[in-house]
Amino acid sequence: MNRFVITAALMLFAAGSASGAEGWGIDNEKKTRVDAKVVDLLCEVTGDCADNCGNGKRQLGLLLDDGRLVPVVKNQDIFAGAVEDLAPFCGKRITADGLMISNPKMPMFALQFKREAPDGKWSRANWYIKNWSKANPGKPGKDWYKHDAKVLELIAKDGVYGIPGLKPSE
Amino acid sequence: MRPKSILMAVAMAGILYVPAADAATTPERVKVTGEIIDTWCYVTEIMYALGTAHHKCAVWCAVGGIPVSIKDASDKVYMVLKVEDDDNSVANPKILKVQTHQVTVEGDLYVRDGVNYLIVNQVADDKGVVNMTHEDYGIQPFGE
Repeated sequence: MNRFVITAALMLFAAGSASGAEGWGIDNEKKTRVDAKVVDLLCEVTGDCADNCGNGKRQLGLLLDDGRLVPVVKNQDIFAGAVEDLAPFCGKRITADGLMISNPKMPMFALQFKREAPDGKWSRANWYIKNWSKANPGKPGKDWYKHDAKVLELIAKDGVYGIPGLKPSE
Repeated sequence: MRPKSILMAVAMAGILYVPAADAATTPERVKVTGEIIDTWCYVTEIMYALGTAHHKCAVWCAVGGIPVSIKDASDKVYMVLKVEDDDNSVANPKILKVQTHQVTVEGDLYVRDGVNYLIVNQVADDKGVVNMTHEDYGIQPFGE
């Protein structure tokens, strides 16, 4: 039964044009499904371009058909951005499904699902942990931030408050 | 099409063609003083996201590839795309080391569609972590 419900939901999601995104209760968020080109933000904004959008080392965004540029700052993984999800689509049009957050401080997009437009295969925007797990076999991906070598090194050096020697009271 | 018409069409195409680099906006030279922040947590306000209370989470998010920004005293947010000729803006080790620090930078500001994109040319000052928020907010988000 559960499998049937999930399959039916996925079929409806894939076939529909309305967003299948989950709301996060963030101010000014709007569930959005939109076709757009994946671009390297530094290149798009300044003209300083690199091959293949910087091969995962540059922040990426969506160039909408009306010319608006929106940075994609988050994917569905805990504490992770969306570069791993978008880098394979550099320069291509995708259908992005997620939350458009029209915050006065800064508009941004939180990616939840993506596919190559117009009819590629949908995938969840969870490739940060997917790739992290491949690079860290045997470690629990869902808690990647507790086991990541860079995180552990930084926290060991500067402490949880960012000030060496300053520790939480017992 | 007659030769004259062809020349005219080529000339018009030349006038209308805008290379990608020229489509970029014009920068403004700026000096910004503020805290290095985790863009997602601060802008969305999904938790308290400043100072010592949020430092560990800011490290997690920066390592996870979430863009890093500078928040100035007027709460203006500048998303950092490049630092001193280093165009790595995804979990860049140099930027990871200064999470939550109070810095003064000089750089080029590009404003497009409501976002302040900052190219840092020089880090003029780094005071380290000075925003002591943990006594009021504990450790965000899990309290440990």
